[in-house]
Amino acid sequence: MSAAWKNLLLRHETILGVLLVITLIVLAFQSDRFFTADNLLNQGRLMAEVGLVALAMTFVIVTGGIDLSVGSILGLVAILLGVFWQKLGLPLPLAMMLGIVVGGVAGLVNGLIITRFGVPPLIATLATLALYRGLAEGISQARSVRGYPDWFFMLGQGEFLGVPVQLWIFGLCAVIAAVILGLSTFGRATYAIGSNAVAARFSGLSVDRSLLLIYTASGLIAGLAAVIFVSRVSTTRSDMGTGLELDVITAVVLGGTSIFGGRGTIIGTLLGLGLMQALKNGLALAGVKGDGTIVVIGAVLIGTILISNIFRKDADG
Amino acid sequence: MTPLVELTGISKSFVGVKVLDHVDFDVRPGEVHALLGENGAGKSTLIKIIAGVHAADEGEIRIGGEAMKFANPGQAVKAGIAIVYQELLLFPELSVAENIFLNHAPRTGWGGLDWAEMRRKARALLDDLESHHLDVDTKVGSLSVANRQRIEIAKALSQNARVVIMDEPTASLAEGDVQQLMTIIRRLRERGVGIVYVSHKLPEIFALADRVTVLRDGHYVGTKDIKEVTERSLVAMMVGRSIDQLFPKEDAPIGKVLLELRGVSHGKQVRDVSLTLRAGEILGIAGLVGSGRTETALTIFGITPATAGTILIDGKPVQISSPQQARDLGIAYVPEDRGLQGLVRPQTIAENISLTVLKKLARGFIVDRGKEDSLARDFIKRLGIRARGPGQAARQLSGGNQQKVVLAKWLAAEPRILIMDEPTRGIDVGAKSEIHALMSKLAQNGLAILMISSELPEVLGMSDRVLVMNGGRIVAEIARKDATPETVGAAMTLVQEREAAA
Repeated sequence: MSAAWKNLLLRHETILGVLLVITLIVLAFQSDRFFTADNLLNQGRLMAEVGLVALAMTFVIVTGGIDLSVGSILGLVAILLGVFWQKLGLPLPLAMMLGIVVGGVAGLVNGLIITRFGVPPLIATLATLALYRGLAEGISQARSVRGYPDWFFMLGQGEFLGVPVQLWIFGLCAVIAAVILGLSTFGRATYAIGSNAVAARFSGLSVDRSLLLIYTASGLIAGLAAVIFVSRVSTTRSDMGTGLELDVITAVVLGGTSIFGGRGTIIGTLLGLGLMQALKNGLALAGVKGDGTIVVIGAVLIGTILISNIFRKDADG
Repeated sequence: MTPLVELTGISKSFVGVKVLDHVDFDVRPGEVHALLGENGAGKSTLIKIIAGVHAADEGEIRIGGEAMKFANPGQAVKAGIAIVYQELLLFPELSVAENIFLNHAPRTGWGGLDWAEMRRKARALLDDLESHHLDVDTKVGSLSVANRQRIEIAKALSQNARVVIMDEPTASLAEGDVQQLMTIIRRLRERGVGIVYVSHKLPEIFALADRVTVLRDGHYVGTKDIKEVTERSLVAMMVGRSIDQLFPKEDAPIGKVLLELRGVSHGKQVRDVSLTLRAGEILGIAGLVGSGRTETALTIFGITPATAGTILIDGKPVQISSPQQARDLGIAYVPEDRGLQGLVRPQTIAENISLTVLKKLARGFIVDRGKEDSLARDFIKRLGIRARGPGQAARQLSGGNQQKVVLAKWLAAEPRILIMDEPTRGIDVGAKSEIHALMSKLAQNGLAILMISSELPEVLGMSDRVLVMNGGRIVAEIARKDATPETVGAAMTLVQEREAAA
């Protein structure tokens, strides 16, 4: 077997792909409701918000950072969407745009704290996780917003050519993210920063500007996910997106992105997402209780990373 | 008299590079034995072997006449060997007494710490070192470097050290503190302690040492009584080889001034530096570690922008506040720390080389992998990089080839001014002369090269002109024909008048 083939086979993504296929087959045998077009598309619908945020999170983690505040940004934007539309009486499309912009600003603030003041991303976004959630709760006063017009539900509940609308959006964003990270100069800089930020700076790359852009994008896309979330569940509450960051980070790390930075792909993240969602849904259909599912996901996460590390050591040999 | 420590035929290799080759060394009771050599000569490795940090591959260590093998530094401490590192290893949040007795604090009958005894003993040790002013309850973090050093020495004595190794103890001390440290060292000597003193500074060595051992490139050059040597003969022992053969500097036509600094400063590290650099010229900057050489380079390159003064390129004043601006002005910097500042080690050779020219290599915003690959192939051929191909990870290459990749990365940006900081540090002799030959060729092609080096032979062999830095200032400019180890060495080690503010 040639070295190139061996490398391809031992890639984390390949291992993950195989694991995903096995999981799908096993789950299909466990429940006859699992492997149906309806169920799979519906799972895609449920996955889209976590998936969107995971795309930007892949960039963040490839730089060696982390963004814990995405769930809170989602909650904040969801609340503001309701406030802009109902309280301030803005047209709904404008309220949606403004909401997403607020998400971007929240992300930019993260980026500024991290680059200007040198606060480690873990701490900076842990702080804004609390801050943005607090803002969301303060603004909402525990009241939810309902009564959105019907056209708005198209985004979260509608279909286009038989496929949920948000899956089209997610697919488009995934392609763009994959091209940027995998092929563009910006993606190259992202990897270099994650592997060695000092050398990247000494090579004339604008490290701070790249980080600002990435954290801003993370906020923007969390804002977009918020709008889709609200449209999907037809209501706005301040606790939306609580714990979302953990699902997102799990998917990204399961997808083979190194938490130390410098390594990771969008394909990996997509596979990680797929595996996570398949396990959640498939196990539920097979009658496994919720806490059992979490245990399985945790075990799969540790297992894949161990296997991948063993193979990598061999390959480096 | 039996030596306290005696090493014979010590050899040590790191990843295939021999850093010590059959070195002999001994310390007798009540003497100061100076260990001398250029950077990379193997001094640090030797003292780490004595202290049990590294194990020797070959050779024998005898302590008080008995053969010993240390598996870890703890065993060396038990055998009475203490080391005072250049970067002092104290705990800033603990008190003076706690630092001295960390690991071997006096205990009470029931196993708790005996604080009163600990403080009393610490007091006695410090008084012994004439440090009556030091309070044993102060946190170490608030103390000056000189005081911390005393605490390290007190700590060594508290462990009944019979041999104290000091690695560049005066590197960051002010002149007054140096004198006091010497007094302390002389006291230790009177008490029969053997002292290994590592330093670059020849005047200190003549003031303190009883014997001197010189290492060069990991080889043992000799041990002499201090009375047998002069400053001149010591430098000759350190430098040793015939310079002209090793450094193939070829004449290059010197062109117009490309870079000029007028009174450039950055904080306290770079003070009022003025220099000119011409096309085709190799300008060497010599000086000790911490003399401001690298800091000057970083200021030119925009990492630490100048706080005062003017930088001119082609006679026009420019603002350089980031490496991007420096690159766009045609300045390249091959940094001192290859692993940290130079390479993205997990990435491939091609990805490393293209880092400086990503925008130029892109079609739209997509990196053109074909162009990237051929650029890398081109440089692999041009610089003779020994690698499997452009797709090999940079970390798998040897030091010399890694350095060539960093150089290639910057040559790809087609600079007019090339700053090389320690261009051949830690690479083997063959790759060294290849890089020197490359530098000559680049200069002939009209590149202006600013070379910073701690290796005197390299500075003398490669430079058209030599600037010597000391205390953040340029203290001497020496033409190629006048540059000798003595003239440059003297300017490097000259003790500067300390400014009142410092």
